[in-house]
Amino acid sequence: MCDNCLKHGTAGKWYLNARNYSNEIVEEYNLREFLIEQYKNFEQIAVRKIAGFNGVGLGYKIQMPIIGRIVKHTAEKMLHSTKPPTNPLKAEGHIGQVVPLDDAIAILEHCAAEPIIQKYCMCRYMHRGEKDACCINFGVMSEIIEKLPRFIPVDEKFQLTREEAIERFKEHNEKGYIGTIWYGPYPYINNLCSCANPECAGIRPRLDFGINSIYKAEYVVDIKPDFCEGCKECIAKCQFDAINFDPIRKQSIIDKSKCFGCGVCLHACKYDAIGIHPRKDFPELKGIY
Amino acid sequence: MGKKTKIKINYSICGDGNEINPQECLKCLKVCEPALFLLHESFGVEEENPYDPQIWRVTPLYPSLCTRCMKCVESCPGEAIQVTW
Ligand code: SF4
Ligand code: SF4
Ligand code: SF4
Ligand code: SF4
Ligand code: SF4
Repeated sequence: MCDNCLKHGTAGKWYLNARNYSNEIVEEYNLREFLIEQYKNFEQIAVRKIAGFNGVGLGYKIQMPIIGRIVKHTAEKMLHSTKPPTNPLKAEGHIGQVVPLDDAIAILEHCAAEPIIQKYCMCRYMHRGEKDACCINFGVMSEIIEKLPRFIPVDEKFQLTREEAIERFKEHNEKGYIGTIWYGPYPYINNLCSCANPECAGIRPRLDFGINSIYKAEYVVDIKPDFCEGCKECIAKCQFDAINFDPIRKQSIIDKSKCFGCGVCLHACKYDAIGIHPRKDFPELKGIY
Repeated sequence: MGKKTKIKINYSICGDGNEINPQECLKCLKVCEPALFLLHESFGVEEENPYDPQIWRVTPLYPSLCTRCMKCVESCPGEAIQVTW
């Protein structure tokens, strides 16, 4: 649920609106040139100075009494911007949400614009030096990536059919990567990612620096005590530290306030003890994204 | 941790087209548990093909996350990294 949806009370999920994936949106907002410039220099974004600030030493900047608040406010304003973007070296209107497997499949089946491609994850390359073809892109974005050799997988297919994209996403999800869908820039959706902490540059600002860069999923999970065998497999999979072990009952418990609803723990449980539910079914989580 | 951690890379050894090409080394990126280093295209250099940049450097992006484990310093083949506090 993005700020815009919160404000305008859209009942549905923003990422299941196929128009947000369309080429018309790209032309309407004039995003082609913008995206080429942005992805040409993608790895530099955090180190480029914008209005006197860049991301270098972000943690220490955030800790400073007044400057910290300004930095956080400026970063969130930029990420949540719904205005036509002006500077490709800024992550303007770049906001995402966690999506579990079923919603990702719905995106790939019904919304994603063709051509669909897989590219090397930028975050894992720029922060870990690894090439992992786990980012799925759509439409005009796919055409842009085609011009940038460093993102194109060497030993794997570049262009995917819808079915292949679903298969790939499933593999990543089962491995434990977090599914995320992104505006980039608002309101164009072109990236279905499979992310890992701490490398993901989209999730880290929220987890490490308290900047709202990504929203939790529309879902949350819980564990049925009658089924849980206490094997702790789910705990090892959770990248948000949302599962605790109760040593007395010898069972795992979900901390719903920390759960991002990514659903990767479901793959880990051999006993069918974990269920995934709409976030809105839990009054205590109302408005908490 | 009271004192701030400072992480410095000597770019006359690694990156910017000098002796070591960080894209071929990648050691600091791989050993750093919090993954605080960033590998990126160098600025202000002439690239033959801007769509396929070849000159890169490593910036210690988030020193506040450093655990002071010194693995990057120990594994850097060019002795190009300094971590102090
Ligand atoms: S958002 Fe996730 S998958 Fe996409 S580039 Fe970053 S870490 Fe990789
Ligand atoms: S507990 Fe929540 S955040 Fe953790 S893996 Fe399961 S769904 Fe994801
Ligand atoms: S994986 Fe399933 S059975 Fe094992 S601890 Fe988690 S919920 Fe319980
Ligand atoms: S000292 Fe350890 S934590 Fe700090 S930058 Fe080096 S490898 Fe990373
Ligand atoms: S380990 Fe040293 S030589 Fe290798 S990339 Fe890092 S700074 Fe450069």
